[in-house]
Amino acid sequence: MDLPQGTLDLLILKAIGLGPQHGWAIAERIQQISKDALSVQQGSLYPALHRLERRGWVKARWGTSDNNRRAKYYELTRSGQKQLDAQSSAWRTLTAAVGLLLDAPEGEAS
Amino acid sequence: VIADLAYRLRALFRRSAVERELVEELQAHLDYAIEKGVAAGQTRDEAERRARIALGGVDQIKEDCREAWGTALVETLLQDLRYGVRIVRRTPLVACTVVATISLTTAALATVFSLGHTLLLRRLPVRDASRLVSVGATRGTARTDGTVSYPDYLAFRDHAKTVTTLAAIYPTAPLFVTVRDTSREINGAVVSSNFFGMMGITPALGRFFRDDEDRVPDRDRVAVVSDSMWRSWFAASPDVLGAAVRINGVDFTVIGVAPPSFAGTTPMPIEIYIPTMMLRVGYRWCDDSLAETCTILSMMGRLAPGRTVGDAAAEFPTLMPAPWVKAPKGENSGIAVTQPQGMTEDSDEPPLVRNLAAAAVVLLAVCCANLTGLLGAQSASRAGEFSIRLSLGAAPRRIVRQVMTESLLLAGVGGLGGLLLSRVFIAALASTFFSVDDEGHPLLYDFGQTPAGMAVTMAAALAAGVAFSVIPALQAVRLQAGGVLKARSISSRWRPRTWLLAGQAAVAVAMAVVAILLVGNVRLMLEGRNYEPSHVALMRVRPRLVKYTPQRAQQFQREAVRRLAAVPGVESVTMVGVGTVLSGGSARVGLPEWPDDQLVRVGYNEVGPQYFSTLRVAMCAGREFDDRDGLGAPAVAIVNDTLARRLWPGADPLGATMRVGTRVCRVVGVVTDVPLASRTKPDEAWAYAPFWQNPGSIDSRIAIRVAGDPAAALPALVHEVNQIDPDVPIAETITLPIRMAGLTRPLRVGATFIAYIAMLTVLLTATGLYGTLAFDVSRRAKEIGIRLAMGAGRSGVVMLVVRQGAGVLAVGAAVGLAIAPGAIGLVGHLLYSRAATDWLYYLAGTGLVVAVGLMASWLPARRAAAVEPLAALRCE
Repeated sequence: MDLPQGTLDLLILKAIGLGPQHGWAIAERIQQISKDALSVQQGSLYPALHRLERRGWVKARWGTSDNNRRAKYYELTRSGQKQLDAQSSAWRTLTAAVGLLLDAPEGEAS
Repeated sequence: VIADLAYRLRALFRRSAVERELVEELQAHLDYAIEKGVAAGQTRDEAERRARIALGGVDQIKEDCREAWGTALVETLLQDLRYGVRIVRRTPLVACTVVATISLTTAALATVFSLGHTLLLRRLPVRDASRLVSVGATRGTARTDGTVSYPDYLAFRDHAKTVTTLAAIYPTAPLFVTVRDTSREINGAVVSSNFFGMMGITPALGRFFRDDEDRVPDRDRVAVVSDSMWRSWFAASPDVLGAAVRINGVDFTVIGVAPPSFAGTTPMPIEIYIPTMMLRVGYRWCDDSLAETCTILSMMGRLAPGRTVGDAAAEFPTLMPAPWVKAPKGENSGIAVTQPQGMTEDSDEPPLVRNLAAAAVVLLAVCCANLTGLLGAQSASRAGEFSIRLSLGAAPRRIVRQVMTESLLLAGVGGLGGLLLSRVFIAALASTFFSVDDEGHPLLYDFGQTPAGMAVTMAAALAAGVAFSVIPALQAVRLQAGGVLKARSISSRWRPRTWLLAGQAAVAVAMAVVAILLVGNVRLMLEGRNYEPSHVALMRVRPRLVKYTPQRAQQFQREAVRRLAAVPGVESVTMVGVGTVLSGGSARVGLPEWPDDQLVRVGYNEVGPQYFSTLRVAMCAGREFDDRDGLGAPAVAIVNDTLARRLWPGADPLGATMRVGTRVCRVVGVVTDVPLASRTKPDEAWAYAPFWQNPGSIDSRIAIRVAGDPAAALPALVHEVNQIDPDVPIAETITLPIRMAGLTRPLRVGATFIAYIAMLTVLLTATGLYGTLAFDVSRRAKEIGIRLAMGAGRSGVVMLVVRQGAGVLAVGAAVGLAIAPGAIGLVGHLLYSRAATDWLYYLAGTGLVVAVGLMASWLPARRAAAVEPLAALRCE
């Protein structure tokens, strides 16, 4: 399923919010949690991560993974956490509103 | 925000590290993906293939990441610049032309900034110069630099509350100074003891005047010397302190040396300072220089903390001495407070600077128009390159930016070149026009460039870069819309570029007319009209400085004339008492029966025998003064043509009587006018009386006509006068042409500057015309080939091209001639030639531009006529 415009950042922030992760693991995590419903375009993952880093929402550091490989780990900063909260509630408001609209019985508006 | 900037800067400057990290990160991603694939049972190769497909194009990701780093703008700029440099190297001639044009143009602009800043804005190089004020007496006229007497100064100084200090200065005192056995007249200053403290300067050596050294008249004979005098007269030795200096015949002791940064308050550098209590030595033209009747001192003050110029301007009139309130016309009657700013002392200079600035801006516009044409032609010939880039997917915006980046690159280099070049111009300007005044005194103007002036110059260069690249850039893109071939067949004769060329030609014509007019007037002034300045040497003899009595002085003068006339090569010798040679004094004259209040003020000189023959001014009637016109003889006068016509219209003035001041004289001669007033002023009326009939004559200016070079003759002439009494100061030893040059400085500065601008505009018009026509000929080679093949004559083809150039020139000349009178009006105050002869200059200016322009059109026309029909057609 394709992601609506602008939701990639939110998903990434959420995935990182669960704990510091490297790029591959972030993509994996999004796919797992959404039960394979959402898949991240791998090509757009890294530019998005770099953009978030520039904005200061995530912080990157080099670390060693469980299989002893050097990897770039991303973690949420304080302003990233705030951003995540704000975007999550905005998303919920939006989906709730869209839901209401879609649940309305047809023919009533006219 | 700061973190964001730091991130971008790191991405920009640690580029390789950041790129390496990205590669490593992507590689790690692939490794995970492959591992997962292998675990799921794929072969390693298969897993790697799938991983790469899933990730997508690595280069694309890299590009997107770079975008995310926020460095894309700078990246493309650098790329455009690199590309621009490559284009520049491929077309060096175009690049050189652009850079040279901008350099020559912005150099003019930067030079005007320097000139204007120094003449109109620069403040004194002292501490907190913006808190200094000039306090000057007004005399019912616009001038506010009127001087006051010492008692008046004291009244202001002791009561003023808006200034913490009020100093008195006589900054241009000619002082005859003797140190050991060297004697020379130099420029000195008489200053109150608080002057140096007010300026906030500290002595380079020794000390300045103490207040108690400026309290009792004639008691404390102390002097401070300037840094340059310390170096040239005392070899920069510390022994200068305590050294004896004889000033105007009185012995002084040097107590200090002024710092090198301070050279005085006027363009005439001050070499030596004495206190106001020694004013009787420093100023010899009043019976008592410290008396209330002797108004010689200027005043400067430093504003008290929190006070403004307005406060001081409000306070000072309340402190005016009682006699000022009911002062007669021409006496001190008011007081004005201004901020000393700029070094100009010539009322012609402020409008001159404004006009030159306007001319420099016009030149900038011409430069933009010219380069628009040049780059337009270049980008048209680059149409192929642009169309390839567009079809490869480059955004039109990107192409526009590319063309503009190239132009800005060239404009920036040109601006730097202009700044460097302007240094040369300013140095030349300073040494040619601003190093000596009209009496031979050395001047010191600081024409240093200011950061603001340099910034504006660079900004102007870059703005020009934008201006001249917008049209070519848009054209480059628009050409693609219609396609190259289609554009090639559109050749309507009057395209925008042709109009731009006509505009350049118009400016060139107007500038050329004004330039030739100004240069012509400079020649007129240096060669003289109705008089001959060449071969005349001048010197000023001032026995008054060493307290000669009139009787002794006149003996001295007679002896000087006798000795000078005997020097080999001397043709005649004469002198002026009141005023200077060919200008200066004034007197009130009229008919004997006129009451005092009807007398008119006219130019007035007291001149010696042979004055008019020495200057080669022709007599209209009667005779000039000779040795008979002495003290015992009847009082006589000579008038010029204008005064004769005013006093005795239609009648013979010879033998008539007239009043000159209080005396009644008989007119013995009428002399032709020497027109030294600019055309915006009426003809000047002049009256002359004999030097020897004024019993008070002491000082004089001597004029000597010699057979050879007057400058070379001067040392021998000075030596001859020195032999009579070596203690009598001789100064202002210059030639009459140098004096006339000094008197016409604004005219000469204007002529030089406008001539430069005119030359550039004519040159630009010619190269613009040449470039456009040559470009046209190369594009129309096919058409011309066909015409030739169809039997058109070669001369017909030449005409075809030349006619196009001639059309541009005709429109330019018509518009240029229409605006020229307005331009001449702006410089009217500098012109001495009669307006009736202006048509000559119109003709010369237009002729010059048309001739150069036709030449520039003929060259490409010849090339067109040389087109081989077959070769031209095969090229397609």
